[in-house]
Amino acid sequence: MRKKTKITIDPKYILAVILVFCLILGIVSYRFEDKMSPIRTVVGSVITPMQKGINTVGKKIAGQRKYFTTLQTEIKKNEELKKQIDELSAENKLLQQDKYELQNFRKIYSLDEQYANLPKVAARVISSDPDNWSNVFVIDKGSKDGIKKNMNVMSGEGLVGIVVKVSKSYARVRSIIDDESNVYGTILDNSEGCIVSGNLELMRQGVISVSGIPGNAKIEDGAEVVTSQISDKFLPGIPIGYLRDLKKDSSNVTQNGYLSPIVDFTSLNMVLVITEVKASEELEEMLK
Amino acid sequence: MKRYLSMFFMIIIVLILQTTIFPHIRLVGVMPNLFVVLTAASGFMYGRKFGMYTGFLCGFFIDYIYNDVIGISIAIFVIVGYINGIANKLYFEDDLSIPLASIALSDLLYGLLYYICQFMMRGRFHIWTYVLDIMVPEAIYTIIFGVFVYKFMHWLEEKLYPPKEELVHTGDKLIT
Repeated sequence: MRKKTKITIDPKYILAVILVFCLILGIVSYRFEDKMSPIRTVVGSVITPMQKGINTVGKKIAGQRKYFTTLQTEIKKNEELKKQIDELSAENKLLQQDKYELQNFRKIYSLDEQYANLPKVAARVISSDPDNWSNVFVIDKGSKDGIKKNMNVMSGEGLVGIVVKVSKSYARVRSIIDDESNVYGTILDNSEGCIVSGNLELMRQGVISVSGIPGNAKIEDGAEVVTSQISDKFLPGIPIGYLRDLKKDSSNVTQNGYLSPIVDFTSLNMVLVITEVKASEELEEMLK
Repeated sequence: MKRYLSMFFMIIIVLILQTTIFPHIRLVGVMPNLFVVLTAASGFMYGRKFGMYTGFLCGFFIDYIYNDVIGISIAIFVIVGYINGIANKLYFEDDLSIPLASIALSDLLYGLLYYICQFMMRGRFHIWTYVLDIMVPEAIYTIIFGVFVYKFMHWLEEKLYPPKEELVHTGDKLIT
């Protein structure tokens, strides 16, 4: 290789060319999003099968690590817990009765049924984003399984995120705790609107931020927030999380606070994709 | 050529590890970034061009699969590779402290550039929280993995291009 006489270009110029190329690529990929998808499919269909296999190894490693780190503390805990079991089993009987009551209430509560009847597809989480900055993951269902952009993703308990990009055999989901995510929500108690936005700073404390609640609304800590009718991408009535530490902002017009999500994002293995996109065709036509 | 090909496969392997196993071994909420290790080490070991090559591929894969806009990660990684390529002058085979320092600095640089491109632009100005909560822990965690990756790259280099020192030595003996 080196013996041949080659035209050598100063790496400085290569750097400049690549940076300009990146800029153009960025603009092109942003502007002509749809036309790029065939290439994405090529890259994805090679790598995702590999990820699928190795991710199971990762889960096993995680399990093992947990096993070693927690074994000793668990032994101590176990003794304490045994004592508690006796107390709790007595309590449990009481709670069982409450549970039946609750189920009845839930049946009456129409919001719950709004999403319970929607068609859903289960999907496996095969990989997550490779850096510490965003909260995006890839699921193993794509356009051939009927997944479309803007479909809502939930786990058994509540809202997980939204499909942002679809390829033939995989789809990318942005979770609601991602820094770029914004969801319009409704507080169940009094139907006040609020904006739930992901925040990397707060994520480390296990909460995300809530803003835009009307200043005069009286809301207790622990009020449940569900997705709103008004949202143009999220189907109404999917639980998001519980409010806490609401404070009025300096203008006194709105309240801000924190929301602890219902879903545990650290151990997401399976998710449900609601295969119904919120009907916004009319809106899209208007925008065109 | 062998070097370019082997780097390509290493990036694929790192991509798979990084997106599947590493999220499970997070410490204090961060995981190491092997892409930075690869880019920094290849720039440091083989110069600016190879650093940019590795950086380009790393950024390309990340952008293609996980980002909305293609180009930001490519640009960041290419810059990291280029800057490490400049440090190529300091490269000695047996010394570990300088390459590890360069990997750590590269990771901080990567974090800083990523923060500026993706977070500061959207009005998230609490830079110190991001530095202390994400960048510094990530850099420390990355160094630990960096040692192994760097050593592996050395080993691979020796396998691919066996050093011809022995010949030189016999030549010396002949002369003396």
